[in-house]
Amino acid sequence: MITAEQKPLKEIIEYISPYDRILLVGCNECVTVCAAGGRKEVGLLASALNLNCLKQGRTIDIKEITLERQCDPEYVEELVSEIDRADAILSMACGCGVQTIAERYKEKPVFPAVNTKFMGASVSQGIWAERCQGCGDCLLGITGGICPVARCSKHLLNGPCGGTSNGMCEIDPDVDCAWRLIWERLKALGMEKRYEEIMEAKDWRPAGGGGPRKIVREDLSL
Amino acid sequence: MMLQTKLSKGDFVVLAEMSTPKGVDISDLVTNARHLKSRIEAVVIPDMDNGVMHMSALAGGAIIRQQGLEPMIHIYGRDRNRMALQGDMLAAHVLGIHNLLVVQGENIDLGDHQNAKPVDDLNELDLLAMVNSLLKGTDLAGFELQGKPNFFTGCQVQPIRDDGHLEEEYVSAKAKVEAGAQYIMVPPVFDITYYTKILNKFKSLNVPVIATVFMLKNVGMARYISINSPDSRLSESLISRIRKAKDREAECIRISGEMIKELKNEAQGIKISASGWEDRLPAILDCAGL
Repeated sequence: MITAEQKPLKEIIEYISPYDRILLVGCNECVTVCAAGGRKEVGLLASALNLNCLKQGRTIDIKEITLERQCDPEYVEELVSEIDRADAILSMACGCGVQTIAERYKEKPVFPAVNTKFMGASVSQGIWAERCQGCGDCLLGITGGICPVARCSKHLLNGPCGGTSNGMCEIDPDVDCAWRLIWERLKALGMEKRYEEIMEAKDWRPAGGGGPRKIVREDLSL
Repeated sequence: MMLQTKLSKGDFVVLAEMSTPKGVDISDLVTNARHLKSRIEAVVIPDMDNGVMHMSALAGGAIIRQQGLEPMIHIYGRDRNRMALQGDMLAAHVLGIHNLLVVQGENIDLGDHQNAKPVDDLNELDLLAMVNSLLKGTDLAGFELQGKPNFFTGCQVQPIRDDGHLEEEYVSAKAKVEAGAQYIMVPPVFDITYYTKILNKFKSLNVPVIATVFMLKNVGMARYISINSPDSRLSESLISRIRKAKDREAECIRISGEMIKELKNEAQGIKISASGWEDRLPAILDCAGL
């Protein structure tokens, strides 16, 4: 999923300070799972903003809505009935959601309330870790299901660097060396031979090297 | 730093663009540079021009310096991060390269190594800030340098589509001048009247403005530019003039020479871009009376 963290309250307040009527929009997808921008977080942020305004001696009208998916124009359309009553929109979705709203409601300023972080997975309660960089040419089939692009600090494709120590990365003793994990996994699967296969320099075009990426599925297009 | 001295005195300067080879044979570069010695103020060395891998501009600049000419090298953020760029700038200083032109790199998807990973760590304004920091003796991490480099740094304007775009580029160039750009390089336009309008706009920023004369080589090239780069304002009559000439190459040289003569009154300097025909540069200068 796409992970996110709420922006500092001060930054959010700076964005919305010129406006009296705010449409605060959450998303029921990834940001709900990582507890950054779902219905609950929308309520908490609205309370924090109201409280801050009271302290400043002014009132603010915040309308709370949480959409099923902010990155989907179909659901973003649900804001039509509320949009005229808002001076600005504050989105708690990832960057995809913010931009979908900005594209649909061009006449209203849209501000992000979260920082979109990475594509990751939950590793334990309250902890999410990066697992994918969307390089567009998945290597997991030859690296034992562990991604060196996302999980090796140097994005190395042919084994670890000299900075690996006791299976951990030199940048942080809490970060696993991806290549140690890959080696152990391949060994456990009896696929050590794969480790010896040299990968050529990666083609970064599918990773976005050539500009913004797009998927076109003609079989699904109307 | 003859270039900087002349520009600061208000003298007219002539620059010639010369690319480094795609390989290690530097004979053409050296020969062409020698033929221009004492006729021009600086040789401009693009770096991976048009996104095509060449010998680095740093080496090209050092070669030009060895030949007794003043080099100017392009710097941009596509291929190097801030560490590599700063390291190269320090290297440039000790190799005798003191003129820098901050440019936008061509999109990697349009070059000859399309599978490369673009870096794009610093943009043009960041690069100017980086140079300023180095000039003050500090790197971008805030550490003190052992010896300060010395640079004369300019910026580049993008090809101007129309009056609205001219205004946008003016705002952008103003920001670059405020960030430390000491001169402005303007891309070629074949309509002198419109080029004069463009140059005058940038002259109001009170730094030297250098125009570019792009040498047409033949009818096909002129036609291609006319169709694919309408901002160049290359007229049908100019294409026709080349087509009707008995000696088309000589006509192309004459056209460049004439443009230089006309631009001499409008800009503080010109850069001649011969795109592979650098051996014709002396003839162009002859035609221009330089």
